[in-house]
Amino acid sequence: MALAIQTEHLRKVYPGSTSANAALEDLTLSVPSGRVFGVIGRNGAGKTTFVRIAATQLALTSGSAQVLGHDVATEERAIRARIACVPQESRPLYFLNVEEVVYLYLKLRGTDPVEARSRTRDALDQLSLTEFRRRSVARLSGGLRRRVLCAMVLASDAEILFLDEPTTGLDPIARREVWEAIRRAIREHRTILLTTHYLDEAEALSTRLALFERGVLVLEGSPEDLRSRVRYPYRVTIQGAYPREELDSFGRVTPIEGGYLVFARDAESRELARLALERGLRVSLGPVSLEDIFLDVVGKSIEEETPHPEVEA
Amino acid sequence: MSERNRLRSLGTLVQLNGLIPIRTQPLYLINLVASPLSFLFFIWIVSRGADLAYGIVGGMVLTMLSVGTGLQSDLTHYRHDLKFQDVVVASPVEAPVYVAGLAVSELVYSLPALAVFAVLFVYYGFATATSAAVLTGAMLLVWSFATAFAFTLSTYFQDVRETWMFSPIFSLVLTVLPPVYYPISYLPGWAQTAARFSPTTYAAELVQGAVGLQPLSFSSATIDWVVLVAFTAALFVIAAFKARWKDP
Repeated sequence: MALAIQTEHLRKVYPGSTSANAALEDLTLSVPSGRVFGVIGRNGAGKTTFVRIAATQLALTSGSAQVLGHDVATEERAIRARIACVPQESRPLYFLNVEEVVYLYLKLRGTDPVEARSRTRDALDQLSLTEFRRRSVARLSGGLRRRVLCAMVLASDAEILFLDEPTTGLDPIARREVWEAIRRAIREHRTILLTTHYLDEAEALSTRLALFERGVLVLEGSPEDLRSRVRYPYRVTIQGAYPREELDSFGRVTPIEGGYLVFARDAESRELARLALERGLRVSLGPVSLEDIFLDVVGKSIEEETPHPEVEA
Repeated sequence: MSERNRLRSLGTLVQLNGLIPIRTQPLYLINLVASPLSFLFFIWIVSRGADLAYGIVGGMVLTMLSVGTGLQSDLTHYRHDLKFQDVVVASPVEAPVYVAGLAVSELVYSLPALAVFAVLFVYYGFATATSAAVLTGAMLLVWSFATAFAFTLSTYFQDVRETWMFSPIFSLVLTVLPPVYYPISYLPGWAQTAARFSPTTYAAELVQGAVGLQPLSFSSATIDWVVLVAFTAALFVIAAFKARWKDP
């Protein structure tokens, strides 16, 4: 499979920071082309640092990174011709109107004006921004501004799109419009590197995911891979009274409102569900969500019971 | 990026940072006319009209320097507040095109002021082929070094507020201390020495000599041109190697 981004032993220490506080540590990662690659992690985990290095906005400290076969340290120009980026916390120029933001960005990249017009119309259509096309950015809500930025890069002909938390502040409907535009970009064989705090978004869009924690890549693979690599890949929710001491033998137990949440292996989860049903309790059984994995791995589960990752080697 | 696309990018930046903001807020123009004309008025009153000529040519030089001040603020604002520079870095647009485009767009704001000064320049009989050529050349160099200086500095600022702090220093070094509005002979000896470290001094001497306000020998004029070009080239070299297009 062709690779869009490849890093080896990538390390980043910001100037003025100590070596022990590396923003990225020994990151070896491959991002396949033509897919959405999701990057998740807590604030400060190193997601944006990774995006900025790959997007040639930030110098690396050691190791190597290649984008579309070009070295980010020495061949930036070749990379920049083929990428586009919505940086985290970026805002469109407030004195432009919505249409101008997209159209002028395309012209800035060197797109022919006629083609730029056509691409602008399509992108605004896709993200339901046509009705706002003449409205000044200064008069848009934060969510709409974010959508305008998404439209801007999606309208470009870039092969790799770096979307750093692109849907922050968007309402659920607007998020899904962005998702649809992202899926359409994938159908056009483009690669998207997506960072997000919305785990449902990461799961819905990403073919592969990377979970960063404190600058270190702790998990990487497809959502199914990630599930298979956690110790307890199933979650059983039991509503009602069930003896706690019996539950402990099935897996990791977490008290919840009106019952228990039990993380268990396949056979144990089925057995527990069966026993709970026999007792007339309400039960739900399913695979762990990405959020469960996230909380488990970063040691911040809802109940803060697991201070260390429960990942099999 | 092809030459044609570079030109298209440059034109787009002029449209984006010059023409459109002026369309939406025409007061920008008045802002940039007001400052040099205020100086001119002040000089006219204080000198009872005798030093008006210094005010006119000095105003033109000051207007070009104000491009640098405006550019520095815009570049810092775009870099930190809007992350627009990051958007541009991750695109085919190269740093020189970005900076040149924004610098030309700042010139658009200065056009009304320059037009007023040009009318006064002609009206008071300073306009000859030589004086116009010298004035144009000196102003282009002033615009160029102010641009290079502004770009380099902007990439080191962490917040747009730092540009506000730096603007008075910028003005002191490039517009107040150099004899833009008066002959260098008015300055005490130590200040004349200090003024020699500012490239604006050489531009002012050339312009004042060209319109006949100060005697300027051919050899002095040659030295002024060489120093002004060398200053500008040095600031471009510093910008090329020290400005942070990509963050460290």
